[in-house]
Amino acid sequence: MTPSSLLVGIIVVPLAGAVLTPVIGGKAGKHAWTWATTVMVATSVIAAALVNQVARTGPFSAYLGGWERPYGIELRFDEFSASVAVICLLGLLAIVFSQKYAAKELPPARLGTYYTLLLLNLTGMLGFVVTGDLFNLFVFMEILSLSGYALVAISGERTAEMAAFKYLVMGAVSSLLVLFAIGLLYALTGSLNMADISDRLTGSAEVPAMLALALLTTGFMVKAALFPLHVWLPDAHAIAPSPVSAILSGLVVKTGLLGMIRVYQIYYGAKVLDLSSLNTVLVWLGAISIVMGAFFAIFQEDIKMMLAYSTISNIGYIVMGLGLASQYGIIGATVHIFNHALIKATLFLGAGALIYQTGYRNLSDLRGVGRSMPFTTAAISVGAISIVGMPPTAGFLCKWYIALGAVQAGHPVFGVALVFGALFIFVYYIRMVNSFYFQAPIHPEILEVKEAPLTMLAPVLILAALCLAMGLLGRIPLSFIEPAVTRLLGTLGG
Amino acid sequence: MKRALTAAFLVLVSLPLLYAMSQLPQHGSATSPAYTHIAPRYLERGPEEAGAENVVTDVILNYRGFDTNGEVTVIFTSLAAVFAVLLAGREGDERSASEPRARTTPEVSPVASFVVRLLSPFVAIFAVYVVMNGHISPGGGFQGGTVFGALLILATVVLGKATAEKLQPARIRGLLQAAAPLTFIAVGVAGLIMFGDYLAFPKAAALAWVRTLWLIVIEIGIGVGGASIISAIFWQMGGDR
Repeated sequence: MTPSSLLVGIIVVPLAGAVLTPVIGGKAGKHAWTWATTVMVATSVIAAALVNQVARTGPFSAYLGGWERPYGIELRFDEFSASVAVICLLGLLAIVFSQKYAAKELPPARLGTYYTLLLLNLTGMLGFVVTGDLFNLFVFMEILSLSGYALVAISGERTAEMAAFKYLVMGAVSSLLVLFAIGLLYALTGSLNMADISDRLTGSAEVPAMLALALLTTGFMVKAALFPLHVWLPDAHAIAPSPVSAILSGLVVKTGLLGMIRVYQIYYGAKVLDLSSLNTVLVWLGAISIVMGAFFAIFQEDIKMMLAYSTISNIGYIVMGLGLASQYGIIGATVHIFNHALIKATLFLGAGALIYQTGYRNLSDLRGVGRSMPFTTAAISVGAISIVGMPPTAGFLCKWYIALGAVQAGHPVFGVALVFGALFIFVYYIRMVNSFYFQAPIHPEILEVKEAPLTMLAPVLILAALCLAMGLLGRIPLSFIEPAVTRLLGTLGG
Repeated sequence: MKRALTAAFLVLVSLPLLYAMSQLPQHGSATSPAYTHIAPRYLERGPEEAGAENVVTDVILNYRGFDTNGEVTVIFTSLAAVFAVLLAGREGDERSASEPRARTTPEVSPVASFVVRLLSPFVAIFAVYVVMNGHISPGGGFQGGTVFGALLILATVVLGKATAEKLQPARIRGLLQAAAPLTFIAVGVAGLIMFGDYLAFPKAAALAWVRTLWLIVIEIGIGVGGASIISAIFWQMGGDR
């Protein structure tokens, strides 16, 4: 297999899998789970081959239809695109987890549709991160957004439909902003290829270029749920079925951030604008996000609601790292995109397993569950330690790097904000762990529940193990992403 | 008060947008980058190297065919989203099932019914014409598929769902709904195997008819998929209730 056909395969294989799910899944989606799992295993193999390729040879392209840049559409795989690995891993584990969960929580008639939408959502994200064409990026953003709205609503409960509607309205506005910006950039450069736009933007009119940048940033930050554009997130992420929450919180919000990285690649290269004022705004909003997310999370009783607010904090960390525009800051932010995906998926799938077994979702109702479901709660605790950022877990290294980035950029005060935020986060996670292990149960029957079934327990344990492993082997992703960040900042000239 | 604030906010937002628009290269000017960079190649060489007289078809199905591959997936996703929200299993469904609602469908007038039956073959032929002619004139799979989908909806209203559904046997309905992305994938993978790039068409001048044929295959796929999806959404929204 040539690299370019692998690059096509990472989109086409899950896409074919998705559109065939209703056919192969059979009546009431009986075989849909087996089919979706098979498709994701195949896609994961392709993702592994791609990451291996980029580590050996650096970025590479596929020219669709054989039309060279800028006449056709180019797929471009660089180090940032290596997020296909985490997308495939989480997608696979979420689908495995869904077998029992979806069968219990969803109306049977919707099972086939559920797996179809999950695969479409993953296809959209995979396409989003590997495309080198700005309009193509928008097309994949539509696939992943539309399937995301539907997945929030799929349980059919009124609250879910309302949450999905709110998500839809915000998401549609953000898509519109991004589309408008693409139109502006096309008018300025006559091109849709990102690398070509970056070359041709140099020396073009500043005001429209600035407007396009503002629209792209706002659009992507709505998708990423940065404060104050986060209002859609808590309901949508908390009410969705747990595997969907894991995908939405772990991956879908990250596409906004990866989109932002693409915007930086265009604008840093073009040198048409000075981005330092945008970066200052982003660093501040990131800092506010960290604190506000943590603040709201403290008051949540519902475990999934708490996790949803915690996502807003973590998006804050990543945006702050990007905005610092220093080597360490961007490396830390990028690696946190990967690591937070693992951590948040551990937590949401773990919470899903607790809700599935006990039927309770409030922290007070879940008191004492640590004694009856030791493995699940242990995994959640590992996730909690990671998200606080204690060594030796996955969360520590990236937050440390972002803090170093703050010092490197000459704003050590943001490093302090970061540590302060981590303390806040520590408070509410300790509350969760405390209620699992150390408080007397309100519902005595909670001591009788059994540990989660294997298809649910295995994904949670694998993810928890990865949270630990990424802490101990943290140098690997850091050094993997370093050349890409050096290139990005090299174009900045600093 | 709220309205006045909204209006004021919108005016405030629109000012920088309008100002930025005024700074764009002149619309319609021959020196604007939109007309000087990639567009000339499409216009000058499109019909010959991409396979269709109609340059729009060249761009959407050949030069930027992968975007259209994505767009038909968006349409398929919208069908799945409609299923996700409207398929049986919603709260309170049992109640509405046990208390059959009064059917409000009015009796269809014999005149309307006759006219629809009379016109159906012509509408269907027109739909096929729009699909097949897309590579020469405006039209193509999306438009022709929509015309055919409208015919299916009309037939459902006038002749009943059972009659209209015969045009889409339940056994292959899933395949028909996925026809557009599946056609793209089939043509794309064929291009990958034969010419080394996904969605690649034969490049040799002597093979111009193959390029045109492949475009028509894609158009038909889009048309079939579009018509199936439009009618399925209509049935899902109205039929089961």
